[in-house]
Amino acid sequence: MKVKRLLLILLLIGFVTALSACNNDDEGGGDGGDSGGGDDATAASEDVNESGMPIVDEEQELTFFANKPAQNEDNDWNDILIWNEYRDQTNINVNWDLVSPDALEENRNLALGSGDLPDAFFLSQLTSSDLLRYGGQDVFLPLNDLIEQYAPNLTALMEEDPSIRKALTFPDGNIYSMPALIEEDFLSLRLSARPWVNEDWLDELGMEIPETTGEFYEYLKAVKELDPVGGGKTIPYGGTQIQELVQWLAGSFGVMNQGPSNMNYDLDASGEVRNFAITDEYKQMLEYINKLYEEGLIDQSIFTIEWGQFLANASDNLYGSMIFYDPIELFGEDIGSQYSSVAALEGPEGHQTYNKLSSSVWDPANLVITSENSNPAATVRWMDHFYSDEGAELYYMGVEGETFEIEDGEAVYKDHILNPEGDITFEQALAKQLTWLGSINGIIKADYFQGGETAPQSMEAAEKIEPFVPEEIWPRFTFTDEENIVLQSTGQDINNYIEEMRDKFITGDEDLANWDNYVDTLNQMGLEEVVEVHQNAYNRYTEN
Amino acid sequence: MAKQLPAHRGRSYKIKKNLFSNWQLYIFLLPVVSYFFIFHYIPMYGVQIAFKDYFANLGIWGSPWVGFEHFERFFSSYYFWRLLKNTLVLNLYMLVLFPLPIILALAFNELRNGAYKKWTQTLTYAPHFISVVVVVGMLVAFLDPNTGLINHLIRALGMEPIPFLTSPDWFRHIFVWSGQWQTLGWSTIIYLAALAGVNPELHEAAKVDGATRLQRIFRINIPSIMPTIVVLFILNIGNFMQIGFEKVLLMQNTLNSETSDIIQTFVYETGILQGQYSFAAAVGLFESAINIVLLITVNQIARKVSENSLW
Repeated sequence: MKVKRLLLILLLIGFVTALSACNNDDEGGGDGGDSGGGDDATAASEDVNESGMPIVDEEQELTFFANKPAQNEDNDWNDILIWNEYRDQTNINVNWDLVSPDALEENRNLALGSGDLPDAFFLSQLTSSDLLRYGGQDVFLPLNDLIEQYAPNLTALMEEDPSIRKALTFPDGNIYSMPALIEEDFLSLRLSARPWVNEDWLDELGMEIPETTGEFYEYLKAVKELDPVGGGKTIPYGGTQIQELVQWLAGSFGVMNQGPSNMNYDLDASGEVRNFAITDEYKQMLEYINKLYEEGLIDQSIFTIEWGQFLANASDNLYGSMIFYDPIELFGEDIGSQYSSVAALEGPEGHQTYNKLSSSVWDPANLVITSENSNPAATVRWMDHFYSDEGAELYYMGVEGETFEIEDGEAVYKDHILNPEGDITFEQALAKQLTWLGSINGIIKADYFQGGETAPQSMEAAEKIEPFVPEEIWPRFTFTDEENIVLQSTGQDINNYIEEMRDKFITGDEDLANWDNYVDTLNQMGLEEVVEVHQNAYNRYTEN
Repeated sequence: MAKQLPAHRGRSYKIKKNLFSNWQLYIFLLPVVSYFFIFHYIPMYGVQIAFKDYFANLGIWGSPWVGFEHFERFFSSYYFWRLLKNTLVLNLYMLVLFPLPIILALAFNELRNGAYKKWTQTLTYAPHFISVVVVVGMLVAFLDPNTGLINHLIRALGMEPIPFLTSPDWFRHIFVWSGQWQTLGWSTIIYLAALAGVNPELHEAAKVDGATRLQRIFRINIPSIMPTIVVLFILNIGNFMQIGFEKVLLMQNTLNSETSDIIQTFVYETGILQGQYSFAAAVGLFESAINIVLLITVNQIARKVSENSLW
């Protein structure tokens, strides 16, 4: 008893002192940080050259939090050709705080939540609600004026294509990030994974490349019956996630007509924003996919399959069709060359567009500058270089003579990258000197890019798809504070419910006869309010 | 007053004397106390963000109070009842299997052959050392509808393959039984230790009286380890609601989320992945509240029924 009481007293005393100590620390730290940041920002703007290189005369250190894509596993950005070269050019030495994609969201949120901030977030996939929330809290700096003054390349691009500025501007008029862009005409990259069918099997079946949803079904069915692999192991359609198939077929059923950036929202015939997941067209699409799934034409393990297993199956040549990147680069010449690309299928109601296309504003938050940054102007200039031709060449091709050479006016990687010695692949050789694999930085242009998307097979696929691409693809909208609250609660529940039910309808776990029930549930959850939020965001987007 | 004073002085004097004469013992205690204080009590001040709108730059103390807003949002959320139900059902399921390691320990205890006994014990302990990630990987590999071993067997028997991992009906069974496979042997250790402490004279006396093996198990072994069982049961309740959420997260997909969505995965998603710290803290706090209520209730019942309890 005595020990207990003593303990209790000790604990209480300690607890109270700790509380007050924390309190003081927090207040002191917070105030100091804020005012410090403000002073630095104004003072530092003077320490930057308005144009030309180097950006600063005296070498500066900056810390960037960055997502390090899986393909870069073995390299260290703190000592690698590309960043050493850019440091020498600019006099800005970036200390890279690298995080693997698996832990990205966690680490990013922990850094933001704890207030332990880097000078900038680079390629960190910050969401627009994060940008607004932390922008409003002065954790992220508004960049409007800085971009105006120090980012001539980005400004020029925004003038050329006003949708870029629209995609970046928040309802409060601020811009908190510099984007990663894809050149608008570089369709092959904007398509990411695209549809393929096995042409050898088509020949064997005496069929043509499918052009309608009906023909696609017939092809899958015929493949299953033919069973070229033997033992019933042939998989007519396989993939790593069902979503790719759904998004591809959306264009054949007339939904998702503004691209995939805003989840389940697009425009109806009268130009109003709608949630297309409750439309009859969407239901029709689910019926179609459900038929494929129930007849065993879609890989039954598509909901749980892992990337590695998918690649292994593909290398065993089990798939009759898939939606994926360049087959030759990923599965090798033997198997990859069997595949031929498919464009958009014509649906039962005559819809035939290819809606699974990302906006040319690939990621609004390529670079975000925090209040800790001692020289925001220099940081903006640092980033802006990658929107220029020289910058794009540097980032995607490297240094002339070291990683690439000009042949017939075209930049081509040197032999030690294209045909590396020993047991390493092209990607591994590339990752020793460059870091663009798995992430788009600045602007990516077909002229300065040599990855899977510019491989001949992929370019051919893109050309085939081009006539079916819709006129306008929305970037991700920006929302106000109040709207974000709705989206994070009701909106999130609704998105989860739609996704869950989509998969259940497809597998037949939920009978499509219960469709009305599903629509009613969504309405009860508060769908109307969420649609209205998107309508407002869309109105602002068009007015901006 | 005058009468009470000496007594009072006497008591505090006693405490002082106790402190000074046993000061070494208190020094031994110090590291543990400071550990709990630093790592378990100080962080508790952060709980208040459940009642605040947390802004990183304002810090925990500076953020504005919002009262019960986050709790209300959680209670009125569409998924609230599903989350609560799944969490409770999954826990109850695991709790129901509480006697399994006791039965296994009693069985081990009856084994007389030393080598065989050690061998079987080691075999049952082994899965305990496999990491959760690997276990889930094994589940995915074995239960895959196309290539999995189990479904090959099912097909060989002429039946339709079962989509174990994408079916809400199967999730709980797979989760709980794979957990049992992993921990069953390990959990028997403490009961075996308790059984080793049973007085052999009791058994000998019972043998003389002509008691059978079963009778001895029920009349001697089980009553002897009853205090251990009760304490472990209450401790188990203390961990109620705290399922190893990593495993649930790894096994989760859109098709089984109807039964696999639990409060802890929800906290992880909203808190860590979406950065809604205040809301996630409120949800977590709600979970702890249920936990405390359960713990106190069970402790109370145990004290009444068996005279064994934690406090």
